[in-house]
Amino acid sequence: MSRKSAFSAGLFILGAYILVALLSSVITPYSPTALVGRPLDGPSDTHLLGTNDLGQDIFSRLLYGTRATLIIGLLGALLSVLVSTLVGTVSAYYGGGVDEVITRSVDVLMTLPSFPLLLVLTIFFAPSIFVISGLMGVLGGTQGIRIIRSQVLSLVEANFVYGAKAIGAGDLRIMTRHILPNVLPLATVKFVFAAQRYMLMGVGLGFLGLGDPSVVDWGQMISRAYYNGGFALGLWWWLIPPGIAVTLLSVALALLGYGLEEEIDPRLKRSVAI
Amino acid sequence: MKAEYLMRRAFYSFLAFMVSLTLTFVLLHLMPGDYLHSILPYLAEKNPDAARMFREQFGLNRSISEQYLLYVVNVVRGNWGYSFLYGLPVLAVIEEKLRWTLVILFPSTVLSILIGMAVGAYSGWRNGSKTDLSVLNFMIFVGAVPSYWWAMLLILIFGFHLNLFPLGGYASIEALDVGVRISDVLRHAALPVTALTISSVPGTYYLMRNSTLQTTGEEYVLTARSKGLREMEILRHHALKNAMLPMVTVIALELAQMIMGSVFVETIFSWPGLGLLTFEALRVRDLPLLQGIFLMDTLMVIFANIAADLSYPLIDPRVKVGENV
Repeated sequence: MSRKSAFSAGLFILGAYILVALLSSVITPYSPTALVGRPLDGPSDTHLLGTNDLGQDIFSRLLYGTRATLIIGLLGALLSVLVSTLVGTVSAYYGGGVDEVITRSVDVLMTLPSFPLLLVLTIFFAPSIFVISGLMGVLGGTQGIRIIRSQVLSLVEANFVYGAKAIGAGDLRIMTRHILPNVLPLATVKFVFAAQRYMLMGVGLGFLGLGDPSVVDWGQMISRAYYNGGFALGLWWWLIPPGIAVTLLSVALALLGYGLEEEIDPRLKRSVAI
Repeated sequence: MKAEYLMRRAFYSFLAFMVSLTLTFVLLHLMPGDYLHSILPYLAEKNPDAARMFREQFGLNRSISEQYLLYVVNVVRGNWGYSFLYGLPVLAVIEEKLRWTLVILFPSTVLSILIGMAVGAYSGWRNGSKTDLSVLNFMIFVGAVPSYWWAMLLILIFGFHLNLFPLGGYASIEALDVGVRISDVLRHAALPVTALTISSVPGTYYLMRNSTLQTTGEEYVLTARSKGLREMEILRHHALKNAMLPMVTVIALELAQMIMGSVFVETIFSWPGLGLLTFEALRVRDLPLLQGIFLMDTLMVIFANIAADLSYPLIDPRVKVGENV
C-alpha cells in the first residue's frame, strides 16, 4: 500500500466513524442502555451481535460507544495541540526570561510520569469524558511544547519575520500571520498522533474502571465482557467487536498520521526525528 | 563543567520529585471520600469509635499541613507511610511487587530493544525497498493495536483455545504444595512478556529506522562504500553505532512508557506486579499506596533520564557529559 492510499484509507475510515457517531441515535435499533432481550443471547436477526449479561443490545452499544471514544481522542488532542502550540510559540518568540521559565517548567513536568498522574487526576475529578479529555490535553500538551518551540526558534530567525518586524508589524500579527502557518503542518501531525494516543488511553481508562460511568464506552464494554463471563464462556460476539472497533480506528488514525507526515516531508521528518 | 552539570541535574531531579510528591499529596487529600468510606460506607455512622480509631491509626486526624510536613520528612527518611489495604509499609509492598514487575519488564524491554533496533536498522538501510515498506506498514499496524487488546488476544488464542499457557497469575495451584518453581513462573510469564514486547517494539523500530535513515547520507558511509565494503558490513560497523546515539534517550523514555503498558498487561494477566497493584490501589482508594506508586514511577523516570545522559559519552566519546546532544 502506498503512502497516498494509506492516507486516503485512514481518512475514509475516520470519516465513517464520525458519521456513525453523529447518526448513532438514528441508526441503532435499540437504546444502548435499555434492557431489550434475554441476557447472553447469541447473534440473531433481532440482535445483530446478541445481548450482554444485562440483556442490552451489543450492536447498539457498539455504535453508541463511538461517540465517547471520538470525543476523548479528538478533544484531548485538540487541547494538547493548542497548549503546546500556544506555549511553544510564545516561549520561542519572546525568548529571554519567559523562555527560561517555560523551558525549565517543562523540564520538571516532563519528569512526572504522565499516565499514573492521569490515573490519579481522573479519580480526583469525577470521571467525565470532558474532564478526562481536558486532563489528557493539558498533561500531554507539555510534551509537545519542546517540539513546537524548536520549530519556532528557527522561524524567528527567518528573513520574512525580520521583514515583517521592519515594516512594523506587531508581535501578535507576526505570530498569527507569519509563524503560525509554518507551524501548522507539524501541529496537524501532532494532532493526529495525539488523537490516536488519547483515544486508546480513553478506552484503557474505561477498561480499568475509571471511565465516565454515564456514557457507553468501548473500554467499559470490553471490561464487562472480559470479567463477566464473555471470555470464560467463549462469547466472541460480546468481547471481540469493541476490540476490533478500537483497533480499526487506531489503525486509521495511524495511517492518517504517517501519511500526513510523509506529505510534509522532508523538512518535517528531520525535525521530528531529532 | 561536569560537576556543575551534575549539580544542576540533581537539583532539577529533586525539584521534580518534590513537585510530584506535593502534587499527589494535595490531590489525594482533597479527594472526596476516603478509604474507609469506599470499603465500609456506613461504618462511620454505625460505629464512630472504629472510624475514629482508623483515623488516629493512620494520622488522618491531624491537620493537613502537619500531615504534609510529616509525609515529606518520612519520605526522605525512607518511610513512605502505611498501605490501608495491606496494613504494611508502602515501601515494602512496592518493593515486593516491583520485583514481579521486573520479571516481565526486564525481558520484554531487552527483547523489544533488540528486535526493534535490528529490524529498524535493516528497514532504514534498505529504505524505500519493498521489504522496508511492508515491514513499515506491518509495524504501523502492530503499534496501532492497544497493548490491552494484544494481551487479550494472546490469552484468548494461546491460553484459552490452544491451552498452551496458563490464563493468568504467576504460579500454578500446585505451588501451594511444592513451592514456587522457576519453570512454572516462566510459563506464566511467557504471555505477559510477549504482550509487552509486541506493544513496545514498533516504537523502537520506527525511531531506529529514522535514525538509520539519517546516517545513509553521511560521508563516512560513502567512504566505506567506496572502499568496497559489503553493505551489511557498512551497516554493522559504521552506520549502526552512529544511529544508536539518539536511541539511548528513547529507550530511557520507553521504560517509563512500559510502566504504563504494564498496568494494562498486568491487570489482564493478574500478574502480581506494580501495575496490578496500581489497579488495586485505585479501586479501593488506598491513598498512601497510590502516592507511593506514583513516587516510585517518578523516581524510575528520573533515574532512567540520568542514566541515559551519563551513558552518552560511553557510546560516543565525542560527547562530553553536560553538553547538549
